[in-house]
Amino acid sequence: MSARTLRVDWPACTARGLCRELLPEIVELDPWGYPVVTGEVTEDLLADARAAVRACPQLALRIVER
Amino acid sequence: MNAARSPVPVPDDILVRPGPALLRGIADGPSLAAHRERYGALPRLSLSELGDLVGDVGLRGRGGAAFPFATKLAAATAGRRPVLVVNLAEGEPASSKDMALALTRPHLVLDGAYAAAAALGSRELHVVLPGDRPVAAERMRAALRERPERLRVQEHTASPRFVAGQARAVVELLERRPNLPVTAWQPEAVSGVRGRPTLLSNAETWAHVGLLVLRGTADYRRLGTTAEPGTTLLTVTTQGSVPQVHEVELGSPLRDVLPADDGSPGIVGGFHGSWATAETLSRARVSVPGLQTLGIPLGAGVVLLPGPGSCPLQLTSRIVDHLAGQSAGRCGPCLNGLPALASALQGVVFGTESTARVEQLCGLVVRRGACAHPDGTSRLVRSMLLTFPDEIAAHARGGCAARPVEVAS
Repeated sequence: MSARTLRVDWPACTARGLCRELLPEIVELDPWGYPVVTGEVTEDLLADARAAVRACPQLALRIVER
Repeated sequence: MNAARSPVPVPDDILVRPGPALLRGIADGPSLAAHRERYGALPRLSLSELGDLVGDVGLRGRGGAAFPFATKLAAATAGRRPVLVVNLAEGEPASSKDMALALTRPHLVLDGAYAAAAALGSRELHVVLPGDRPVAAERMRAALRERPERLRVQEHTASPRFVAGQARAVVELLERRPNLPVTAWQPEAVSGVRGRPTLLSNAETWAHVGLLVLRGTADYRRLGTTAEPGTTLLTVTTQGSVPQVHEVELGSPLRDVLPADDGSPGIVGGFHGSWATAETLSRARVSVPGLQTLGIPLGAGVVLLPGPGSCPLQLTSRIVDHLAGQSAGRCGPCLNGLPALASALQGVVFGTESTARVEQLCGLVVRRGACAHPDGTSRLVRSMLLTFPDEIAAHARGGCAARPVEVAS
């Protein structure tokens, strides 16, 4: 099975930071508040990752297969 | 946001040296009549014949990524009728090879695109002209007016901005949105202009396609090496002289196009490229994998030689100031990170900041944008850190081996 990861639509992202709230396991914030994705979306994180994708006010987050 | 001017201006004038293939016989002039006199009529090829031509010689894209053209062609022809794009928006000020082709060999470029359009059954051909090189743009328009083909070509003019030539930015321009990069969820060859497969390449790549169609693979393989047949264009800029465009055989020594006894370091690959010592430059060969191994990827074929006595730290700092101002300003990490990086780098030049902060900011911007602008900027800075430890130490002590640090005005 191919690995899943989070991909950010950078021009759309406005650093609202909800992804960090919902998925702290693999999302950190840079000094300006933009997400830094630090790991893969593993099976146990999949539900939370989907929630983060749905919650993003800019719809700037996607789960992609690598 | 600063708007620092480019330390290397977009040239009004360039010197195009005659070469062994693309730039052969440029003294004939750029007319269609002279072009047909030299090359004869444009043969009509099937898609599989075209695929065999570009696959046989392993043609790679000349925009900087060196992506295999045959792979792109296969992807673009897997679905609906593809859109074709000839990209002459050379956003990098230190690169003038596509400008050189527009001035001297516009019909070789167009032959590549028209042959592909016929082979692919494309009904849509776009030519993207540079907004800041008006003479080259006008020469290309004149060449288009000479063409007898019935396929209508749509002309576009790119913004005079570093990132305007980036593939997704060009797709945006073609869809009449601002000429700036956006996130590509799929390659342009799969889903580009209005979601159609889009075969987008720069002028040099199309000129190589044209040459292959007109002359065949055996002729193409006369030059270069077995592993890397053919030639490539290089733009060589030295301090205080007009940029020169050379056509060299792949595998040939880079020093052939460098001024003798310069003995100073240079940048290979342009503003998004890498610093190389004089020693590395003198033993390097012009080869995509070869230069990759040396840690100085060829990119779009730019060689910048600031010359003896100029300070590589100051030049890097000026380039990064400029690149920070050239950000489209849409992606947060680039919008915020590049000015921070430029400022940290200035600190290194003035000896007030350690390199740790610079390294940290480089790591923070890479792979975090819609385009590779932050990645390229960070590549140049990292190469400076690797290549000039002694100079950096000298600046930290308040000195500079090259010349006194000028106070920024």
